[in-house]
Amino acid sequence: MSAALDMHSSLAGPDLGPRRRLYSAIGWGLCSFAFLLIAAPLIDIVWVVVSKGLSAFSWTLFTTVTNGTSGGLLNAITGTILLSGGALIIAVPIGVGAGIYLSEYGNNNLGAVIRFLSDVLTGTPSIVLGYFSYITFVITLGWQFSALAGMITLAIMIVPYLARISELALRGVPNTVREATFALGAKDPTVVFKIVLPSAFPGVLTGILLALAISVGETAPLIYTAGWSNFLWNGKFTHEPVGYLTFVIWNFINQPFESAHALAFAAAFLVMLVVLIINVGVRVAIRKRSFA
Amino acid sequence: MPDATTRMVLETGTVSSDTRISIKNLDFYYGATHALKSVSIDFPDRRATAMIGPSGCGKSTLLRVLNRMYDLYPGQRAEGEVLLDGENIIAANLDLNKLRRRVGMVFQKPTPFPKSIYDNVAFGFRLHEKLSRAESDERVEWSLTRAALWDEVKDRLSSSALGLSGGQQQRLCIARTIAVRPQVILLDEPTSALDPISTLKVEELIDELKRDFTIIIVTHNMQQAARCADRVAFFYLGELVEVGESTQIFTAPHEKRTQEYITGRFG
Repeated sequence: MSAALDMHSSLAGPDLGPRRRLYSAIGWGLCSFAFLLIAAPLIDIVWVVVSKGLSAFSWTLFTTVTNGTSGGLLNAITGTILLSGGALIIAVPIGVGAGIYLSEYGNNNLGAVIRFLSDVLTGTPSIVLGYFSYITFVITLGWQFSALAGMITLAIMIVPYLARISELALRGVPNTVREATFALGAKDPTVVFKIVLPSAFPGVLTGILLALAISVGETAPLIYTAGWSNFLWNGKFTHEPVGYLTFVIWNFINQPFESAHALAFAAAFLVMLVVLIINVGVRVAIRKRSFA
Repeated sequence: MPDATTRMVLETGTVSSDTRISIKNLDFYYGATHALKSVSIDFPDRRATAMIGPSGCGKSTLLRVLNRMYDLYPGQRAEGEVLLDGENIIAANLDLNKLRRRVGMVFQKPTPFPKSIYDNVAFGFRLHEKLSRAESDERVEWSLTRAALWDEVKDRLSSSALGLSGGQQQRLCIARTIAVRPQVILLDEPTSALDPISTLKVEELIDELKRDFTIIIVTHNMQQAARCADRVAFFYLGELVEVGESTQIFTAPHEKRTQEYITGRFG
């Protein structure tokens, strides 16, 4: 650190004295402390999850279903894919559609209302959404714990993220590009879907991937809606509970069995890995096709 | 009777080849701001007219009236008469897509679409015409050739237009505009974002294009106006001060304000 400082001062000109060095050292010290404060818990979590998750790791996790609190995670892995995939299928058209509206036509009162409601929804605790869905789908509509109830709940949760990120991505497309398209005699849908949306594609894709990461990592909205199952999904969207990874993390860690803890850490490891892969994917997507 | 018909055809033919656009008492408002004040001006066919004047004088505003670009923005409105071949194009019920097919526009900054070079050029005419593959290929080649870009891109038509240089992108945008085969081409400071060599190429291009199109160009660059325009219109504070042949405007302007502007005393 001091070497770097010396180099810096020699580049910047004459040394301005001990007072300035002292302030510099205090600055560096505070920054390092702040960094440690943020990084230490994160490193601890990653370390615990990776070490315990790896020691619990085996290929039977992917080939067998959960049996009580032991066995594999096949039911939970497929269940998470099903629930998150279903949530995306429901939420992407609505969320990206809302983003398009807000960016292209939303400079009015309706746009302001939608933005406000979207922010409220973002701030709503996911457990509240879960409870809402429990009352609405599981009880009132009589779907019981089911894949569809879980998907819709996750979809409600990620729609505002999709809307906001899509809106930002679309607003990033220079207005002259829109004008140039109109100037060729194009109509609104052509401008939006053939030019603006493709131009904003990396940003929109980022939003979709982040929404996927959120839905993979959510627990609370699913506890009330998807339930839990030891078995593979049988293809029914209602009246049939499904398993998912975050349930294993949340529930099994509280069980008094060694096998349950192992499964919980293995599930945590998988979820973390997936979220990490998605985030790396986002960065690659941004770098590959950024708008010039 | 045949004589009368012939004469009528000849006359209308003469009218349309002389004056493509005729503006009478045009007023333009951005909300409460009166940006163009009772402007009357004619744009002759197959000639290049340059509009010059200090920033905010209304020249770009006038350009954006000619393809109704202002329609995209609420609060902007035009009053008066803008006749394109005798038809008032600021009428409320006008088909904007048809108008913009006839009146193309090239912008200050190049606006390539995130598509291949070929698809960029084909984008405009595909909106209006159904062409076979061969016809489409032919139109793309014709447009790129007219835009003096064909030789540079003929081997990479399927690569992204975003990979072209700024000057090439601007010529691509010109190719895209002429591919629609408009009657009028509006250019809004088309070279202000380009280096001198690219600027020269675009200027040569404009000189070439005015054989087939009515060219209207907004520029801040007086030399550019002198180099590529046949006629020059000087605007100041929303008014048309003077319009005339380039040589007359630059050597013997009638108005004192024109004289002062072109000699660099203000602006």
